[in-house]
Amino acid sequence: MTLSVVFALLFYSATILLVVGVGRKIVIYARTPAPLKIPTTPAPTTRRGVVWRMTKEITVFQSLFKSDKWVWLFGWVFHAALALVLLRHLRYFQEPVWTVVALIQPFGKYAAFAMIFGLAGLWARRFLVDRVRYISTLSDHLMLALIIAIGLSGLGIKYIAHTDIIALKAYMMGLMYFDLQPLPDDGFVLVHLSLVITLMVIFPISKLLHVPGLFFMPTRTQVDNPREVRHTAGWTAK
Amino acid sequence: MKDKRMTRQQHWPVASAIAVVFALFSWVAVAGVPLPDIPLAVKGDQCVEDTDFMRRNHMDVMLHQRDETVHEGIRTKRHSLKGCFTCHIVKGADNQPVTIKDPKHFCRVCHDYAAVNVDCFQCHTSIPDAKKSGGKL
Repeated sequence: MTLSVVFALLFYSATILLVVGVGRKIVIYARTPAPLKIPTTPAPTTRRGVVWRMTKEITVFQSLFKSDKWVWLFGWVFHAALALVLLRHLRYFQEPVWTVVALIQPFGKYAAFAMIFGLAGLWARRFLVDRVRYISTLSDHLMLALIIAIGLSGLGIKYIAHTDIIALKAYMMGLMYFDLQPLPDDGFVLVHLSLVITLMVIFPISKLLHVPGLFFMPTRTQVDNPREVRHTAGWTAK
Repeated sequence: MKDKRMTRQQHWPVASAIAVVFALFSWVAVAGVPLPDIPLAVKGDQCVEDTDFMRRNHMDVMLHQRDETVHEGIRTKRHSLKGCFTCHIVKGADNQPVTIKDPKHFCRVCHDYAAVNVDCFQCHTSIPDAKKSGGKL
């Protein structure tokens, strides 16, 4: 029971840090002026066009594809698999489980392998490509190591030593309902959860901020209409 | 004086937001966490393996049994699927064991909760032998 309480406190603290931390960053990003009209051309000339451009950016990583096919391959595979894995994990946080979440369970199982494949590719690049190795910092390596370790410990639960997932779901739901349930104390589960808590805590101070940051890129989100509409940034002449 | 009143007024939305959040939390806390209502076995006080072990590894036990029976031709009773339904039966309104189509079925209670698909019963029956229990398949 001590373990359940310790992990509950860690989860509550990590959640507050994650929500407040990322929220604060979003406010900072939103308030940061974009003084210049700098959409990367060819750029859409309408608002709707920008929405379409951002949709392609988020779903198929268009500009990454144009710049580097290898990074695109590993990065896109990793992110797509991560999306599936996250969707699959929703089952631990809802009752009844959404039909779509139930439907992707069988595919999501293999997504973890694809995720680790993508991450391994991205990590190999940091060792094998001289120019990338030169600019890689410790945090770049540690971030990849952390996410790979989360994936491997998750696979450990799935394929090496199972846990009581009913009790695990009850525990996670219990956290949401403020009705503490016992946490199954299996090694892989405790490692998996600890690493996820670590990820939640460092998210608002890490490179993972590219998730909200993507929506504040002037080069992608601006409409290419400098002649039709005068671009002002608060301090500019009216 | 006027400035102070202004700041107090500005705190109103924040205060009411916090109040709403707390109200929601307390409502949720009263509602209680949804848990699966796992049916007790109708007889016996010990499963073929330890309960904690079965909750984690029943699928491996059953698949191992499948391999031994179908691939090796060794048919034992201890871990047979049929054996599960000598104890783990849930009776319906007609006092007959319910099939996998009923959400109250022993397997489904947890499998639905965890959103895990059971494909045993596409071929196997999910109730005890019709002869012994007197029911229809």
